[in-house]
Amino acid sequence: MLGNLARAGDPSLPPVASVPTVEIRFENHHFLPLHLEIPAGRQLQIHVVNASPERIEFESFKLNREKVVEPHQSINVTLKALPPGSYDFFDDFHEDVPEGEIVAR
Amino acid sequence: MPAQHRTICFGVILFLLGVGSPKCRAQVDPWEFEVYPYATTQRGMLELETDNAVVTRGHDTGGDGTAEGTFPSQGMWYNAYEVTYGLTDRIEVAAYLTMAEPSGRPYQWAGDKLRLRGRLFDEDVLPVNLGWYAEMEWHKTPDFDDASKEFELRPIAEKDVGAFSVLANPKFEKVLSGAGRDQGVEFGYVAGVYYRSTRALSPGLEFYGGMGLLDQTEPSSEQQHYLCPVLWGELPHGLEYNFGVGYGLTRGSDRVVIKFNVELERFVGAIFKGSPETSWFY
Repeated sequence: MLGNLARAGDPSLPPVASVPTVEIRFENHHFLPLHLEIPAGRQLQIHVVNASPERIEFESFKLNREKVVEPHQSINVTLKALPPGSYDFFDDFHEDVPEGEIVAR
Repeated sequence: MPAQHRTICFGVILFLLGVGSPKCRAQVDPWEFEVYPYATTQRGMLELETDNAVVTRGHDTGGDGTAEGTFPSQGMWYNAYEVTYGLTDRIEVAAYLTMAEPSGRPYQWAGDKLRLRGRLFDEDVLPVNLGWYAEMEWHKTPDFDDASKEFELRPIAEKDVGAFSVLANPKFEKVLSGAGRDQGVEFGYVAGVYYRSTRALSPGLEFYGGMGLLDQTEPSSEQQHYLCPVLWGELPHGLEYNFGVGYGLTRGSDRVVIKFNVELERFVGAIFKGSPETSWFY
C-alpha cells in the first residue's frame, strides 16, 4: 500500500483516482487557473501539468511544497486536509510568472 | 500528574542532564548551525551554500564551548562551503569545505565533510515525515578537534501543523580516528520550530546541543545547549538565508554565537531518471 502512495518520482503521473483532484496547467508562461477554490478540511491532490517547453518548479511557501516539473510532464502534489485560508503557489524558476492562489473554504 | 509519572519524568531529566556522570566530549558542530528538513534537494538541482558563525562571547581556552581543538572559541569565525546535489527524488549528496579564523590567527582550513541525506516516502504519507542523514567528517587536529575522523547518523523528523513546521534531528556520532576512538557513541541534537509568515521574512526558534556519550552523559554544566532565535526567508533571485543569535544555556556552552547561512540552488541536470512509482527509499 505504501508503495502506491509514494508516487512523486515518476516524471509524468496520472492523478490518483481515490483522492479528489484539481488540475493546474502551466502554459504560455502562466499558471491556469491562477485562482482556485477548494473545500477546506478534505485531503486533496493537485495535478500539475507543465504543457510548456520550459522547466518549472511548482512551489508553495504556505503549503511547504516544491517540485520540479519537466517540460510536457506532470506531477501530483498530495495535500492533507487544509484549514480555511489562502495558500500561494508560484514557479520558483521564473520570477516573472504571476503568482497564483489556492483558497480553501 | 500522578506521583509515579513525576518520578519517571524526574529520572529522565536527571539522565538527560547526566547528573553524576564522568566527563567526556559534547558535540555541537559550529560549522553548521542548521536544522535539516524532511525535503531533500530535488533531483538534478545543485545547491551552493555557505554557513557562517562567529563566537562573540566564548571561552578563552581551547576545548571549551564550540571549540573542540586547541584554539579557543572566543572570537572564532567558523565558515563552511557546501555543495549539495539532488541525486534522486529522495537522496542528495553533499561535500563541505570547513574553514575557520581563530582570534588573532589567519583564516585556515579546518576540515572536510561528505554527506548523504534522504527522505522516506512522500509528504504526509506517514503521520510524521521521516528522513535520514549520514556523514563522514575529517578534522584538522589538534587545532580544531581532537578527533581526526568521525561518522555521524541522524534520523530526521518533520511535522507541519498549520503555519508551523517542527523539525528534529537527533545526532549520533562515533569517533573513528583520534581521541575518543575507544569511546562509545556521542549524542547531540538539532531541532527547530518555524513559522511561515512571508516568503521574504519569517521567524523561527532553533535548538542545538551536545550531551556527551550516550551511556555516559556529561555533567549538566559541561554539556552544551543553545537557544537560537532566527529569521529566515528568500531574497530576490532565489537567495535563501537564515540568520540567528545563539545563546548558550550552560557553563560549557559559549555565551553568544551569531550565525548566518546563505544558499542558492539551480537546476543543472539529472543523472538518474525519476524514482519508480513503488519506491519509498530512493
